[in-house]
Amino acid sequence: MEKRQVRNNIRKLRFHNNEMTQEQLAEKVGVTRQTIIAIEGAKYSPSLELAFRIALVFGVPLGEVFSYDPEDDSNQTINKIS
Amino acid sequence: MSYQEKNITVSLVSYLLIIGYYLVNLFQMFQEGGLVSTKLFSLWALVILATIIVNIIASILTNIVLTIVEAIKAQKYEEPRFIADERDKLIELKGIRSSYITFSVGVLISVLAFAFGQPPLVMISLIIFFAIAAEIIGDISQIYLYRRGF
Repeated sequence: MEKRQVRNNIRKLRFHNNEMTQEQLAEKVGVTRQTIIAIEGAKYSPSLELAFRIALVFGVPLGEVFSYDPEDDSNQTINKIS
Repeated sequence: MSYQEKNITVSLVSYLLIIGYYLVNLFQMFQEGGLVSTKLFSLWALVILATIIVNIIASILTNIVLTIVEAIKAQKYEEPRFIADERDKLIELKGIRSSYITFSVGVLISVLAFAFGQPPLVMISLIIFFAIAAEIIGDISQIYLYRRGF
């Protein structure tokens, strides 16, 4: 399956926040646990609003939770062209 | 399996039962010598009503049963959290798109059948068939997107 280019550190951040469970994070940001699982597994890119809400829960800037890898993007473009 | 997946599965099963009933009756009519308008009208009415009513009842029953099961699991009553978040809404939209595409193709096939000499009874029977089939395709595509981890 095609992985998205938006990477995240949610698993690590949860661990450093008193080993917060996916269910607890889901409740705090107002989504289902399945959505958190999908985001953690880089199978779903959240909306900007949800991304900010997740960053707010951990008390860190957005860039520390999510990152974008332009390398992956260029590789995929090359693959699509060839 | 999430609440949404369970709800879609119940809806899918009810649509499969309805389409099965519809096709069995339709083939029986063909075997008995062709489509009889009076019998066919009552079959259409029954199937359309069943599609609406069974789906509503199934949705309500699923809600009730899931609330009871969740309460038993938690050993106390908790306000059910059957929320549909942004991902659920996106998956639902994609399901609806699949339904519309299926139904549009179905209507085109039905109209073509009429244009090539089939009687209007066949055309409307086909349209009703594709309407239910579109719902089934929509449900299947939603379940696929949930399972794939979209």
